[in-house]
Amino acid sequence: MEIYLYIALFAPLTGSLFAALFAASPKTSVTGIVASGLLFTSFVSSVILLNYVMAGHTVHVEMMTWIASGDLYIPFGFVVDQVSVVMMMVVSIVSTIVHIYSIGYMDHDKGFNRFFSYLSAFVFSMMVLVMSDNFLGLFIGWEGVGLCSWLLIGFWYHKESATWAANEAFIMNRIADLAMLIGIFIIYWNIGSLQYDVVFSQIANLPMPIITWIGIFLFIGAMGKSAQFPLHTWLADAMEGPTPVSALIHAATMVTAGVYLVVRANPIYDLIPEVGTVIASLGAFVAMFAATMALVNRDMKRIIAYSTLSQLGYMFVAAGLGAYWVALFHLMAHAFFKALLFLGAGNVMHAMHDELDPFKMGGLKKPMKWTWILMTLASVALAGIYPLAGFFSKDLILEVAFVEQHYILYSVLLATAGLTAFYSFRLVALIFHGDERHLEHGIHPHEAYNFMLYAMAPLGVLAVIAGMVFKTPYYEMVTHLLPAIEYHIHNHTTFWIMTIGTQLFVIAAIAYAYKKYAKAVKVDAKVESGFLYQLLYNQYYIPKLYDELFSKPYRELSKLAWKQIDLKIVDATVDGIANVIYRTGEKTHTMQNGNLSSMLRWMVIGLVVLLVLAIAFTVGYNAVTMRAM
Amino acid sequence: MEITLAHYLVLSSVLFAIGLIGVMRRKNLLMLFFATEILLNATNIGFAAIAHFHNDLTGQMFAFFIIAIAASEVAVGLGLLIVMYKRTGKIDLDIMTSMRG
Amino acid sequence: MQEHILSILIFFPALAAMLGFIVHKDSARAYGITVAAIEFLLSLWLWNIYDPMTSGMQFMEKAPLVAAFGINYLVGIDGISLFIIVLSTFFTMIGIASLTETRRVKDLIITLLFLEMTMVGVFAALDAIVFYVFWELSLIPMLYIIGAWGGPLRIYASVKFFLYTFTGSLVMLVGMLFMAYFYYQATGQWSFSLLEWYRLILPLNFQLWLFAAFFIGFAIKVPMFPFHTWLPYAHGQAPTIGSVILAAILLKMGTYAFVRFSLPLFPDASVFFMFPIATLAIIMIVYTAMVAYAQEDIKQVVAYSSVSHMGVIVLGTFALNVEGISGSIFLMIAHGVVSGALFLLVGVIYDRRHTKLMSEFGGLASVMPRYATIFGIMMMASVGLPLTINFVGEFLSLLGFYKQSHSFTLVAGTAIIVGAIYMLSAYKKMFFGNVTKEENKNLKDVNRTELIALVPLVIITIWLGVYPKPILEPISNSVESIVQLMHDKAQTPEAQARIPNLSNPVAKNSQQETY
Repeated sequence: MEIYLYIALFAPLTGSLFAALFAASPKTSVTGIVASGLLFTSFVSSVILLNYVMAGHTVHVEMMTWIASGDLYIPFGFVVDQVSVVMMMVVSIVSTIVHIYSIGYMDHDKGFNRFFSYLSAFVFSMMVLVMSDNFLGLFIGWEGVGLCSWLLIGFWYHKESATWAANEAFIMNRIADLAMLIGIFIIYWNIGSLQYDVVFSQIANLPMPIITWIGIFLFIGAMGKSAQFPLHTWLADAMEGPTPVSALIHAATMVTAGVYLVVRANPIYDLIPEVGTVIASLGAFVAMFAATMALVNRDMKRIIAYSTLSQLGYMFVAAGLGAYWVALFHLMAHAFFKALLFLGAGNVMHAMHDELDPFKMGGLKKPMKWTWILMTLASVALAGIYPLAGFFSKDLILEVAFVEQHYILYSVLLATAGLTAFYSFRLVALIFHGDERHLEHGIHPHEAYNFMLYAMAPLGVLAVIAGMVFKTPYYEMVTHLLPAIEYHIHNHTTFWIMTIGTQLFVIAAIAYAYKKYAKAVKVDAKVESGFLYQLLYNQYYIPKLYDELFSKPYRELSKLAWKQIDLKIVDATVDGIANVIYRTGEKTHTMQNGNLSSMLRWMVIGLVVLLVLAIAFTVGYNAVTMRAM
Repeated sequence: MEITLAHYLVLSSVLFAIGLIGVMRRKNLLMLFFATEILLNATNIGFAAIAHFHNDLTGQMFAFFIIAIAASEVAVGLGLLIVMYKRTGKIDLDIMTSMRG
Repeated sequence: MQEHILSILIFFPALAAMLGFIVHKDSARAYGITVAAIEFLLSLWLWNIYDPMTSGMQFMEKAPLVAAFGINYLVGIDGISLFIIVLSTFFTMIGIASLTETRRVKDLIITLLFLEMTMVGVFAALDAIVFYVFWELSLIPMLYIIGAWGGPLRIYASVKFFLYTFTGSLVMLVGMLFMAYFYYQATGQWSFSLLEWYRLILPLNFQLWLFAAFFIGFAIKVPMFPFHTWLPYAHGQAPTIGSVILAAILLKMGTYAFVRFSLPLFPDASVFFMFPIATLAIIMIVYTAMVAYAQEDIKQVVAYSSVSHMGVIVLGTFALNVEGISGSIFLMIAHGVVSGALFLLVGVIYDRRHTKLMSEFGGLASVMPRYATIFGIMMMASVGLPLTINFVGEFLSLLGFYKQSHSFTLVAGTAIIVGAIYMLSAYKKMFFGNVTKEENKNLKDVNRTELIALVPLVIITIWLGVYPKPILEPISNSVESIVQLMHDKAQTPEAQARIPNLSNPVAKNSQQETY
């Protein structure tokens, strides 16, 4: 089985290196096809491994030593167990599809080969992240996906906004990575190893405050990658990247790495339920917070990005409340329908010549029938309508909150579910229904290539069946590793009221969205100039706040440090000392005027000074020694 | 009144001071030599006196050395002075500034 | 030959430099490359015959110089110095191979070969006087390189460089003399041998003064805040080759000397000064990173980034445990490779445009894609991405210091944030965006001569990032003996607590069980 592990891991790397060979040459479809083929290989290997793991085995290999010094020993070790195999499946399925899709999407781009090189490198990093058997190996993948994300967000590097967003994403992630490193340090100095199995078996022996700190620092690390408040601003800006990138990295895989980390570290978080509650509360807050921003935004991709953020909040609620398997399940289901949604948005963008404002679209369901169907499907799944994937995963999180008696969290999540349905269908309605507003801009939309639609089809299928079909086998498998807690509401009446109530609430939200946006779009100026609308539209003014609070002062302070402190204080002091010596020489060189009699006079003065010093020293020395005697 | 070591030392110091002032004030090279001689002899008196009062001949020996060195110094110095006079026609100290820094 | 390998390594370049005067100036380059390549191969051979499992000194040679005062020509290497020597010979080789300077090439090559002798000499010396001589000698070729081939402010920069470092090393010399005098007082014999000094246990107040004396010499060389201001000038004015050697090797002399002298000689003082030095190191890391962010000149960005990284090295050194010190030594190598490469890269663009101002560039990624790629890899290495060489060193250094202080490490760890800020923004200014300047539109991508230097560096950067074991293992072994020596010598209870005892913990445990 090890061979399959290596294939699953290194096939993407091979694809990336292969594409990199052609990075400087003009576009060849070969790179795209080879990279996609290799990813498919990786996917097949993952399936084989999944079967193997379902049978109750795990694969654990240690490839080679990485860092060994003193007592520290960190190998490149990889493990395929019940949790990582789920992630591997998600990553390989979505990335294979996105790769194939990208062959069409990036068709006319100059950087076609480069794109596939980056994208496959990303998949490799993600595989390292999920398959690693120790924290530092995870950190490799963690930073690796950060790098690829930087490369891909800034893929169109001539665009100022893209490169800015890329740097923002990288630096924000770095802030969180520092916390993660600190978490790793604490683990190492208290346990002496970074291997998961060792750490998890010994974590319970540590004193409580240390476990708490570990949990907090690791979670801050997760917050960066999963864009949780207050490190969330980069995700929306990251939409500057090509849309397949958004689908793969900023919806399906990388941003869920934080959830994966918490799920993976469940033996740690199990011991610190208080931290878990904080995680869950933050998650619920982010779910609501992001959903409100999605309500009014006028950028198609940003709306989906906020929706991602919101769903990540859901996942953290589940993970924080100890329902790790639920979190992972929602992660999986979400990956499918959100990737689908993004890819659909990609089709729309292509058709609309990169127009992002849904208010300038409309009526696209005729020319883009399949895209419309797929995106509606994804939105229904996202809204959580029975029997699609979202119903089984997202409503389960609501149940978890209810069963765990966190009623506030429950109500926040319930309200958010309504918002989710509303903004999702606001988007669908604006894009696909109503008047063909784009005609004013002289755009004639066309459907995407067929193979792109075929590539998206599996995601469509998964979005429909993932919840229904996979839930039971998934549960049986992952609970080998994760705490097996069934979340049932025992009271049947309550259960039915809740389920049907939620469904009705969501459907009502959808209907409202359709009613408001599907026909004619009335722009209500009064609402739009209102405080609330502006607040939401400007993302609670947080990006602006960060700019004023951190970026600008940092820039100013840097200038100050250089121009004032470094040049005018530190360096000037050094030069000052040198100048004093130099000037003393300048001033006193007249002494050497060559006049013998004045030189003799100086000699006499020197002699006198020396004599005086000698006498003073003798007297002083005698005085001291006398006293000492 | 008995003449003690102190008297000799005072004499020596006075002579030394005279010599020192001479070294500092005189511009004529010849006078400078005289002043140097006075300086040297001032120390000679000191040496001889201390040698006498301490019954140690080392001091007197030093005095002889100094006399010898002073003599040779004057010989060399006067030689240079004569060369200098032949070149410039002056023996003024202020014109000797070739060592100016 | 094996027993004289170190002397050969030290004096072969000097001899070749002498002979270089009679070489015709057209063939000087070829001659220089040949000599440097032979020297590099010799150092590789040294690595090959070095026994990585032995922690002590190897290939020792001894010849009396001033027997009456115990001054000997004493050289030897362990895992710590071995790789810095290999790094020195390597950088001299690729430095000469990628030389683009056209003015007085012959003189430059002779100077570089002479410099190579002093560098190898410093790292191989085990006698304080020999060390001091090579240490000071290394200033002369560098002074000459900056002063003769430098930019418009070269005289000021070179004089500043020389006087500043020279002043520091004079204080260090006084420390050395006093140390020898103390040895004489204690044993009745004069000795400048480092290995014999190691056996001496000094009273705490002596340690403090001596530590301070040595510290000034080393800190200026590193350069530590607030003694760092000579560095930007030196880098700013030096020709590419000068900056490369300065950043890659010469700065390492300071941090190397901390490990070689300060720690084992004055363990109690090292613990006593740990936090003040860590504070300086943190200021170096954060403050210079901010200064780097404010720069307008790409070479100054790299120069200040060097200072920032040296801060991490110093911090790792004063972690006083195996992880930290090994990490800091590894980071010395790593930083040598990466900053050397970055300076070479800056040289590439300077040769084409004769300016280093970032505002003059922009959009270079589309004009010079290969250059942008290599620069990107090196930038990411500098930022400390895992699987590049820098990460291993930075991780171990910070990990090591975490044992000593949590809060300090947290602040020092911002290195990975502030480092990313200045590097990414500099990269963005240079490579991203549209090509706005007409002059930049037809720039040529890196040529073969430049690739000869850059490609090996890229390979090393990634190879040692993925598989650091070949050099990390010997380093760790040698560091273990130093840490053990420090622990055994430590007198104050704080020092004993802070410096770990490595001697056979298993045996100790079993002993406890029998009680």
